[in-house]
Amino acid sequence: MKPLVEPIAGRYLRLELLGRPHRLYVEEAGQGIPLLCLHTAGSDTRQYRGLMNDPEITRHFRVVAFDMPWHGKSSPPAGWQTENYRLTSADYTRMVLEVCEALALERPVVMGCSIGGRIALVLAIEHAARFRAIIGLQSGATIDPYYELDWLHHPQVHGGEASAAYVSGLMAPTSPEAERWETLWHYMQGGPGIFKGDLYFYRGADGDIRERLSAIDTRACPLYLLTGEYDYSVSPEDTRAAAERIPGVKFTVMPKLGHFPMSENPALFLSYLRPVLEQIRAGG
Amino acid sequence: MTLPLETLKERAAGDALLARFGLDLDCALLVGDGDTDWLIRIERGAVAHVTKGPLVMPKSDLRLRAASEAWARFLEPVPPPGYHDLFALRRYRRIQIEGDIRLMSAYLFYIKRLFALLRGGGS
Repeated sequence: MKPLVEPIAGRYLRLELLGRPHRLYVEEAGQGIPLLCLHTAGSDTRQYRGLMNDPEITRHFRVVAFDMPWHGKSSPPAGWQTENYRLTSADYTRMVLEVCEALALERPVVMGCSIGGRIALVLAIEHAARFRAIIGLQSGATIDPYYELDWLHHPQVHGGEASAAYVSGLMAPTSPEAERWETLWHYMQGGPGIFKGDLYFYRGADGDIRERLSAIDTRACPLYLLTGEYDYSVSPEDTRAAAERIPGVKFTVMPKLGHFPMSENPALFLSYLRPVLEQIRAGG
Repeated sequence: MTLPLETLKERAAGDALLARFGLDLDCALLVGDGDTDWLIRIERGAVAHVTKGPLVMPKSDLRLRAASEAWARFLEPVPPPGYHDLFALRRYRRIQIEGDIRLMSAYLFYIKRLFALLRGGGS
């Protein structure tokens, strides 16, 4: 096999985030319109490897992704050893805005998946003017819990393997085996309790934003929602229920994809994403 | 019973994923379709015994029961959304999972693999 250096560059960003010093790992590829990508709960930026390696996209878009604190190669803040990590909607929103500011991303497109898809809706409600367009993957306004989170972080259970096994069925059975297992590896590498902590805001106190969706103005900022049909965590019906409350939203069901479209089958996902990005680019 | 459990021991023998995820596993799984119950005894990660019911008050660590129609769709070579995984069945309340959930969580890859092996020919 001939060696290949991918066009993705990774760097560390030192910044004040949520009022504390942080060291974040940031990857990017391409040039043009900034496109900020948000990974799913318990995972990291490697989910967007297909996007960052796609010359058609990186010709016109500067694709940027960061590992959230506690995830991937980003460190937890100093003092983490005495803390119980719990993500909140407000903190996640603020984190996205602060990273945009630190990287001087001017009116970026933001795209998030799963919890990132939920926060995409929150950004559309609260901060539409700051974005050129918003793309939610596997976005739902609420969630129907079907398992107990406590087993994701328990001394008698391997958290990485349990987290990966809990999400493994969310992918389409037709997605390529190697990409599915790559996606699961990221989960197996997650820090103890982090997947569970991410889901705190998603399933917890501020986990139902249905009544807030009517505040979204898609004329101020276009909103695209794409959902894979095999996802049973956020099913197409769940996204459709949210979309019905948002005038002007563009909603697409993606057959043969699941909860991790950009990672479980990058080639197929890009066939759905490219036309969306073209529309955004044409919109100026 | 819709699931070809009588062939499970044969299908599981030498499976690399079961070997990877079944480290140190000893347990009894009860699997039902609302009509028949089967007991699967796993020893040191290997399927040791598969017993067809009726069973008389069997001792089991985990019980998984779904209607035979749900199992039938689960077994399709490319199952439809909502039927393609044990947790998909769980999400839509098509399966009852009871018993030692800690054990299930620790060995979920193994358990999912065991059921996935029942798909396709060989039965």
